This record gives sequence, C-alpha cells and structure tokens, in this order.
Amino acid sequence: MGTSPAAPFPLQLGILTKRLLLRVLRRPLAELPNIFISAFFLFVYDGALGGVFGGSAAGTPFDFAKGNFVNFILPVSIISASISGGASGVYLVEDIESGVFKRYQGMPISKWAIILAPIIVGAMRVLIQAGLILTIGMLIGADPATGPLGYFAVLGIAFLWGMGFAGYSVAAGVRSGSSQGAQAASFLFFPALFLAPTFTPRHALKGWLQTASAYNPTTYVIEAMRTIMVDGWVVDVVMKGALVAGCFAFITLAFAVVSARKATEKA
Amino acid sequence: MFAVEAKSLKKTFKTKQGEVEAVKDVSFQVKQGEIYGILGPNGAGKSTTILMLTTLLSITSGAGYIQGLDIDKQDKDVRKKIGVALQDTGIDNLLTGRELFYTTARLWGFSKRDAEERATSLLNLVGISEAADRRVKTYSGGMKRRLDLGLSLVHKPEVLFLDEPTTGLDPGSRRVLWDEIKRLRDSGVTILLTTQYLEEADELADRISIIDEGLVVAEGSPDELKAMVGGDVITFTFDKKESLLKAQSLIQSSEIESNDLRITAENGAEKIPLLFSLLTKNNIEVTSVSSNKPTLDDVFLQVTGYRLEGSEETLPEGKERVSI
Repeated sequence: MGTSPAAPFPLQLGILTKRLLLRVLRRPLAELPNIFISAFFLFVYDGALGGVFGGSAAGTPFDFAKGNFVNFILPVSIISASISGGASGVYLVEDIESGVFKRYQGMPISKWAIILAPIIVGAMRVLIQAGLILTIGMLIGADPATGPLGYFAVLGIAFLWGMGFAGYSVAAGVRSGSSQGAQAASFLFFPALFLAPTFTPRHALKGWLQTASAYNPTTYVIEAMRTIMVDGWVVDVVMKGALVAGCFAFITLAFAVVSARKATEKA
Repeated sequence: MFAVEAKSLKKTFKTKQGEVEAVKDVSFQVKQGEIYGILGPNGAGKSTTILMLTTLLSITSGAGYIQGLDIDKQDKDVRKKIGVALQDTGIDNLLTGRELFYTTARLWGFSKRDAEERATSLLNLVGISEAADRRVKTYSGGMKRRLDLGLSLVHKPEVLFLDEPTTGLDPGSRRVLWDEIKRLRDSGVTILLTTQYLEEADELADRISIIDEGLVVAEGSPDELKAMVGGDVITFTFDKKESLLKAQSLIQSSEIESNDLRITAENGAEKIPLLFSLLTKNNIEVTSVSSNKPTLDDVFLQVTGYRLEGSEETLPEGKERVSI
C-alpha cells in the first residue's frame, strides 16, 4: 500500500474543497434562505415598483428603466445573492469551533489549502446563487441591452463582489473565532445595499443619500450591472464597477489571508 | 534513540492577568514500543505538554524530540511520524466514517484505491465497519472516540499521542478502547497518553509520569511507583471523630484522611490484629479496617499531598473494605 508523506498542494485543496461541498450538499436547507430572500426582493420590487417605473413611465422623467423594470432591479437581487460568499468564513469557523481545523494543523497540510478551500466553496456558492437569480430574472422578463453576453458580465461582477464578502467573512470569522463573527458580513449588507441607488438612479436620490451613495462602493457595482442590463456597454461605468468589486475582493481577501495566517500560527 | 524525549519543557502563556506558567519543567523519555502515561488532575499541564510535543503549540523553553527529530525545528517532519487524538480535535459530523477515513488517507497522500483499502481496514480495526456509511453525527460517544483513534492511525504513525482518550466514556466503551490501545502497542506503536484516571494509567501504562502544577513529581512503572509508598496501606475507619483522634495518638506514623486513619507498613495484613487489639484495649470502636497493596491513588496522595478528584469513586482492583 503506497503512501507519500502528504498529498501535493493542488490535491490537498481539491480534497478539502470536495469535503466542504459535501457538507453544503448535506445541509441544503441552509442554502435556501439567501436564495429565497434574493428572489423575494426581485419579485416584490418588480411587483411594487414595476408598474410605475416600467413601461408606463415611457416618455416621463422617470423612464430610467427604459421600459423594463426587471432589467433595472435585477442587479439589486444579484447583489443580495452575492452576499452568499460570506458563507466562506462560516465554513472556516465551523471547522475551528468543531476542532477539525486543529486536526488538519496536526497533519502536514498546507495552511493555504485549509484557508482557500472555504473561499473556493464560497465562490461556487456565489456563482450558483447569482446564476439562479439571473435565471429567474430571465424567466420574468429580463432582457439585457448588451445581449446574452451581458448576463456573463453581470455574473462576473457579482462573483468579484461575492469574493469581497467571502474575504470579509473569513477575516471576521478567524479574528472573532465565532460563527457569529463570520456572519457579520450580513450586517454590512443592509447599509451597503440601501445607501445606494437601489430603486432609482443616483441623480434622483435626495441630497444626503446621494452624498452617502457616492462613498458606498455598492453604488458603482449596482450602476455597472444596471448599465449592462439597461443601457448597453457603457465602458467607463462597467469598468468602474468591475474595478470597485475587484478592489473590494482583493482588499478583503488579503485581510483574510493575513488574519488566517495569524490564526494558524502556533500560540 | 527514544521515541519521545522531553527536556525541561516549559510553556508560559501571556494573559491579561499576567503570565501563566502552564508547564514549568517537564522532562521524560518514552522508549520505543511502550505505553507511557502522563497522570495528573485537570490543569496540571498534561494537555499543554502534549500540544508542544505534537508541534501544535510553541515551546517557551526546553526541547522535545520525536524519533530524534526536534519538535521546534523539524515540526513538519515530526508530524509525519506522529498520530494525534486530542481532546478537542474534531470530527466532521456531516460525513460518514468511511468518507472521513478516505478523505484523511487521501490527504496523507494515499492513492484512491489505497485510500479505500485503508479506510476499510481501519473501520474494521476500530470496530465501526457496520456504521461505516452512516453520518458521524449518529455515532455514540464511544464510537466517535474509536473513530478519532482510527483517524490518527491512517498514515501508520510510529508514535501515537492520545490526550485523555476515554474521558466521558462509559466503563464498557472505556474497556473496548483500552483493548485497542494495548493491541496498538503490541503491534509496535509507541503510545503517549494523558489521563486523569488512576485505573487507566495502572491498566495501560508501562511507565507513568505524575504531573502536578506543571512539574513532574514522580516517574516510574506502576509497580515502581507503588513501591515508593513503602509497604501496604492499612486503613481504619471510625464513627466518631474522638475515636479517630485518640487512635492517631496511639499509633505512631499514622495519618488522618477524612474519617480514616492510614498506616503504611510492611505485611499490613499481619499487623492488623496487633493494631486492632491496641485500639479495642483503649475502648476505641472501629467501624472497618482494610489492608491493601498501595495503589496509584496512594502514590498520588504521597507525592502531591492530595487525592486525584473522583479517585475514591472507583475502588481499584484488589482493594476491598472489610466491615467489622
């Protein structure tokens, strides 16, 4: 029976990722609330506001959805779905709390594999949840101005944004050492989503909210997705949104790596 | 070469209240193929010592070696030689026993086929093959401990560290685990275990270190340690406190322990009639008397000045009280 001292890094990462995916699949109910809330936002906002800002707004100053309010509001639900990346920190903290983390520390396994595996699973979760919301959006009438490619662009930005939440949750989780700490990503969610041009374009917001939204990175992410859905390839707006989402992901993931490194150091 | 060597290990933790010396000075050597027990109460420094030796905790000073490898400088190589089952190492409850063995074997570098074979063989070894495909959350406490033990054996370690392996288990499960630990020793694995159960140390360990307040206070085989007590332990019990005190004043070198009077003497059973007659002549009413070979409980009392918590609950083998 052959054994080497330890599996190579990519195999370690693959095995640990597969293990976490099994955990996710065995708790399907844990995945439902976020999908449900994101879909709920989509239906409710479309139902409540679509009548005013949809086709009937044509020719009025409120025609910012250009006749299709689903296109306009879909990014809000996508942003909501992308918060599911915050599960990464929860996975890691569950392993810390249960002592599985310590078991791996006692084996010759790369600490990067231990930290990256939950982030990869968080990324998959973001893609699947955002993909599902996009599909629901398509079914109820979304029709991107950029064509089918626009869906992939929106998904790409959602992925970066979700990774930002993944990084934040991992850092918060390992620093606090608790699941509650890791779930703190959800506390960021409401101010991030609603201090932004959620229901109307930025220029239609009241003064104080317009100012606040200018400092909120979510604004640029929503605007990028919305431009793709409503206006077409307005490159500077799309690039700004992608850049903001990318920077958010880079900063929080770097923070996560530093935090996790500290957590894996010997006391 | 010793399988495990601890040389003046020391661990200090910095807390808000100041520095805490969890391990002050611990030295011992574990020979190849023996079961070495570290016995001590909660907070004595047993687990901290194990954490340092298994490279999971840095050492403040001193040195430690596993199969000649330095735990501080060669920690990665040390981890390949050791298996670890700590009190707080966890098991993924959502996976099945077989999946856990398979995953662990793959992480250790086994091929898919070898990992499957290893999983099956270890499931048999620890006696949970019937529950192999059930999720671990459905396992009993004893099954989880056996699974934990099995997981620490996946890569065929030369040295196995078990931190309080039977704490919280019922007597039956404890006995099953003891048998497995002995079988492992017989197959050539060196085992270092910590315990707060005297009977566990007595039953399993070839040699024992008694640790108290971060220091090794006694070391030797169970027989060597018991010999330190210096004879049999005669215990008289009295109903009245006055009788106890009066008896102590009559018998030299006797010690009071709660309502008992303890006398250590060679050939204790032969001395009982003489002592008993002395007490009755002085109108002291004796409730019970016993003479026992010294136990680790007696050793512990002698070297630390107190009994290990809970040790009175289970009377060790060979100890029985005679009522008069």
